[in-house]
Amino acid sequence: MELRTHQIFHDLCQHGGIERPEPGTGLKLTFKDTKGNLLQEVEANEGDDILSIAHEYDIDLEGACEGSVACSTCHVILPQEYYDVLPEPDDDENDMLDMAFGLTDTSRLGCQVKMTKELDGITVTLPAATRNMFVDGECTSMS
Amino acid sequence: MMKLAIIGGGPSAFYVAGRIFSLLKNAPIKIHMYERRWSPYGLVRYGVAPDHPEVKNCIHKFEETARDPRFRFFGNVFVGHPPKNEEDKRLLSRNVVLPVDSLLGHYTHLLVATGCPFPRFHLKLPRRSPWCLPALDIVHWYTYNQLSRHRPPPLENSPHISIIGAGNVALDVARILLTPPSQLEKYDVPEHVLEVLHRSKLRHVSIIARRGPLDAAFTAKELREMMNLPDSAMIPIPKNVLDEAAKSEMTRQQSRILQLLQKGSKNVPGSTQKTWSIDFFRNPVKLETIEKKELLGEAPDLPLNLKLAHTEVDPKTRQARETQEFTNLRTSLVVTSLGFQAEPHDYGRIANSYEGENYDKRLHYIRTDAGGRLLRPISTDHPILDKSGLESAPPELLKPVDRVYASGWASVGAKGVLASTMMNAYNVAETIVSDWLASQDKSVSPAADDTLPAGHKGNKVEDLEFPMKSQVNMDSLPEEVKESAHPVFSFDDWKKVDEEEVRRGEERGKERERVDWP
Repeated sequence: MELRTHQIFHDLCQHGGIERPEPGTGLKLTFKDTKGNLLQEVEANEGDDILSIAHEYDIDLEGACEGSVACSTCHVILPQEYYDVLPEPDDDENDMLDMAFGLTDTSRLGCQVKMTKELDGITVTLPAATRNMFVDGECTSMS
Repeated sequence: MMKLAIIGGGPSAFYVAGRIFSLLKNAPIKIHMYERRWSPYGLVRYGVAPDHPEVKNCIHKFEETARDPRFRFFGNVFVGHPPKNEEDKRLLSRNVVLPVDSLLGHYTHLLVATGCPFPRFHLKLPRRSPWCLPALDIVHWYTYNQLSRHRPPPLENSPHISIIGAGNVALDVARILLTPPSQLEKYDVPEHVLEVLHRSKLRHVSIIARRGPLDAAFTAKELREMMNLPDSAMIPIPKNVLDEAAKSEMTRQQSRILQLLQKGSKNVPGSTQKTWSIDFFRNPVKLETIEKKELLGEAPDLPLNLKLAHTEVDPKTRQARETQEFTNLRTSLVVTSLGFQAEPHDYGRIANSYEGENYDKRLHYIRTDAGGRLLRPISTDHPILDKSGLESAPPELLKPVDRVYASGWASVGAKGVLASTMMNAYNVAETIVSDWLASQDKSVSPAADDTLPAGHKGNKVEDLEFPMKSQVNMDSLPEEVKESAHPVFSFDDWKKVDEEEVRRGEERGKERERVDWP
């Protein structure tokens, strides 16, 4: 059966609650899915966390507890060289990472990673989830 | 056409609804959610411990879903047969009762998201007695659940409580009972609960685990909170138990839990008023009340004798087996915390087969395929559960029911945290949407192959009609909901109650003060 597939991003009423920098002036982040497909290249300011940045740009990263380190829904995978420059996750974050899907050695909670100059150019991989079914970007409009 | 009825109003129901709306942004679909309580959110409101308010932040997302004009909430509606026994009649006396058959004619799609509302019990212990109660009763008490008995646990007479089971619910209950009530006052803990906690004479909680530290179902966060309790200390776990566990290969989570257990509590035993312990490798075999005064000795407030069998874990199967050694534990109250199970609905009628057909009595949840499609047997000779009660039907003897789905704990059993419920719900939502899109595409034939696999005899279950209609009036509602002796709560009605609870809470300097019946 040929499946018509769709990628429709979440219509968040509230965005990330952060300011987008003037294009070309911010720190760069690239979001990819598990298969390495590019989702979006975005820019953010120093101090913004990855969850808020994802929400600002409508990237499909959940934040069920809204950044209070009480869930694992904003789990992201970082490249080793960027992971290494970050301070170690604290106990609370590790407790939540324990329960993350597809945990890796360079996994973090997106809400706990704040952008710095050292992280400029980072690639953020969203772990395997259920978002694989809807892939080709076609938009549904039944009205 | 999609007009989806969701039975249940907990996190799974909301995550499915929200995901469908976001996948089908402009489609003129309708989602109607039927919830037995007058309030939405299920375990997020009636399960999450009050000192974990941040877990409830997911409600903001659920409110966004509820604001979609295609959504309607019907609170205080019990979907199922009118209750027969007195207990159920009393519990549902203020509910609108909506039989499944009345619901079906008005919808093209159905989702069962009724969770796992029932506690599982211990074979050797009473289900409910003055000395023994399920942990769920305590959770219902401190969350002021309208479907509960509202009987507070007898904390004034219980210096020693034994909790059977080592999951997060056991630790939630232990933590709430051991936390100084002054620290709980700012949270969503009802005043009448705080009063009882203030009068509590509790001095020790024993958490009794059938297996060892590596098999415990609790998570590191909850264990860490126990270790950091201000006025309590953990009795150290015997060194041989920890050393033996340390020899095994461990997952990251297991090794972090073991480290916490090795390190012990922040307070050392002897320095605090209250203590707690985890007694690994113990399984209750008998609970006796000590009737004779002379036998009570110097501990008249420990009137129970809980006989515990010692166990060991088979390293291959990870099953516990008894060693024929026993210990007697004097205690004041036994609380069972052994997991939960789904409701044995007769949604089999939806699958036009037999009573209780989709509910697996061995697994204690509804059988679905990987996408959340509700399954039914293809043959009368191969029911969901065979007559021995030991074997569930293999997948090749089951087939999905058209446009009927189940999600969350109702379909996977009571396990996992909110994140797992969300992932499951998104998967089911995507199945519903892709099935629907496929059915819109006329080139795809909906005919399913009903042939029995080779080697299986038996009568094919007849396809009478698809249980769900393909054409319905998008605005029609079941008669029971339109006219009833009892109120049906809309989402706006709930929001009024919600605001009132927050207002009453503000008066007292706390998160909210819950109301019983609005």
